[in-house]
Formats: sequence, structure tokens, C-alpha cells
Amino acid sequence: MHQHKQLDRDPTEMNSDDTLSSVYELIQLVASLNDTKRAILFALAHIYPRSVSGVQLSRLIGYSGKSRSLYRGVLSHMQEDKMIQVDQLTPKLYAIRINNEHPLLRVLVELCRQYGGEMRDIYLQAMEGR
Amino acid sequence: MDRLLLQARGLYADGRRTAVAAMAVVLAVTTVLFYSGGLQVIETEPLPWAPPGWTQGLEVVTSFNTVLFFLAFSLMVFFYAFWSWAFLPSPAVLYTVGVLRGIFGETARIVHRMGRRFRVHLDADRYVDVVCRVRDHASGEWFVFELRSSPVMCSHSQEIAMRHGMRLDRGCFATRVSHDELHHRTLLMTRALALCHPTT
Repeated sequence: MHQHKQLDRDPTEMNSDDTLSSVYELIQLVASLNDTKRAILFALAHIYPRSVSGVQLSRLIGYSGKSRSLYRGVLSHMQEDKMIQVDQLTPKLYAIRINNEHPLLRVLVELCRQYGGEMRDIYLQAMEGR
Repeated sequence: MDRLLLQARGLYADGRRTAVAAMAVVLAVTTVLFYSGGLQVIETEPLPWAPPGWTQGLEVVTSFNTVLFFLAFSLMVFFYAFWSWAFLPSPAVLYTVGVLRGIFGETARIVHRMGRRFRVHLDADRYVDVVCRVRDHASGEWFVFELRSSPVMCSHSQEIAMRHGMRLDRGCFATRVSHDELHHRTLLMTRALALCHPTT
């Protein structure tokens, strides 16, 4: 029931041919990214529509470096390419979320919503730091 | 990181250390050269209220020697800046050209230009520019590449850019990628260009 609602609401699900070609392009895009960017996209797609802070994100993707270098490097690249949205809440706190307006990442979010319930629980647990 | 890039990183670090050391030596030599001869004082009004020691000090500061010294110093800084802008350590050049040749084949025309730029000519009017930055100062990341395509003119280029993980910047596809993404994302950019200019 829940899944049907999503499908009715989503304009991308026109016919299976279009969806398949989008999935092909999505796989191609994801395959072209490096480990860190891929991990970020998967984590953010699963927990959508929630946003995370930089520290939470580094925990989710198992990033060992400083979150400052994450912001200035990988995250700023991804923001330029409109894959993620970064809102500055306070000078030190950022809210990072996946860009659901992106034609391919919308498909990824949809896939995660439909089939990624268990992963989502794991990510959310990790986010709360339990 | 790739072995070639590790080598390039080592060379770059060594080069910088050598440059700083050489600069210190040259700086010392210029100081001796410019100040060991007599002072060429620029004529100034002596300040009536200042003690004579100050006036002598000011004479050193406002002399031609100091002007020339700063000129020499800025020349050194300029050459250093030019050197670090223009040249890429050769293993990194090998890596970049190797990756690009891997995608576009041995026959592709790849031009390596000043300023760490590579231009891959796809056909008569389409090309991909690859610029390598040895170290991104903001994030501390090594070997970040900037990809930029030739200008595209098609109705839905924004959509195509996004679908290939790029942005549309002044009518060109553009993106910044790390060294381990260079291969696949250049490939994607080529696909995006092919979608925009279908060869019929």
C-alpha cells in the first residue's frame, strides 16, 4: 500500500522502459564515482528525507579523515555537480542531504525506499550512535 | 593511490623543499650583494623632530638598494609561482596521459600544454580539457582533476549534464574529479558530448 502511494506520486515512473534506462544511467553514474562519494550517496539515499551533519556523515561512511576536509573536498565537488544539498545551519553546523531533484538520484532514493528498509534501519541506528 | 602518482607526489614535495632551500640561499646572496656596496639614498627631507639614529635607519629603508632588493625578491616569488603553476611532475603526466590513452586509444590527439593542461581532441570541434591540480589546498586532497568539455549547444544540456554527474558551466560540461575517478568520468563526459552532438 505504502509503495503504491509512492509510485502514484512520482512522475518518473512512466513506463518500464524509461525506468530501465534511468537505472542504467544511475548504475553508470554510481560506478564512475570513487568509494567515498559512492558511500555518501548510498547513505544519504537510504536516510532520505533526513539530513545529516558532517560528523554524522563521516561516521556513516566510515571516513577516517577530518570532516573539514570532507566538506572542502568531496562534498563541495558533489554540491557543484548538484548531487547533494548542503545547508549551513550555523557557522559550524551543516545539514547535508541528497538532492532529490536530481533526475537519477531521485530513482536511487525511490529504490532505497522500496527495497532498502533494513539498510535504512542500520543507517539510522548508526546515525543515532547506538 | 597509483604508484605513479605516489612518485609524483614525492617529487613534488622534494621539489618544493629544494625550491625553498634555494630561495633562502639566493635571498641571503642578494642581501649581501645589494647592501655591501654603498647606499644609494633617495633624496628625502630629513625629519626635524626625529633623532639622528632614526634618520639613518630611514635612509636604509628608502634607499635604491631596498627598492632593488624587493624587486629581486618579487622576481623570485614570481618565478616560483610560475614554476608551480606550469609544471606537473612527470610521473603524474605519464599517469594522466596513460589513463586518457586507455580510453581514447593510442591514436587520439592529446595535447599537453603549459599549466598542467591536457586537451583531448575527440573530433574536429569537440574536445575535453583536463587540468590537474597537484594539491587542493582547501581539502588537502592530492591530484584533483578539472574536466571541461567544448561548448555544447543542445536544448536539454542541463539535464544531460546532471545525468552524467556534471554541471553546466558557461555552456560547457564541467566537473571536478579525484584521481581515481579520472578514467570513468572522462568516459561519461564523452558520452554526454555524444548525446548532445549525435553523429549522424
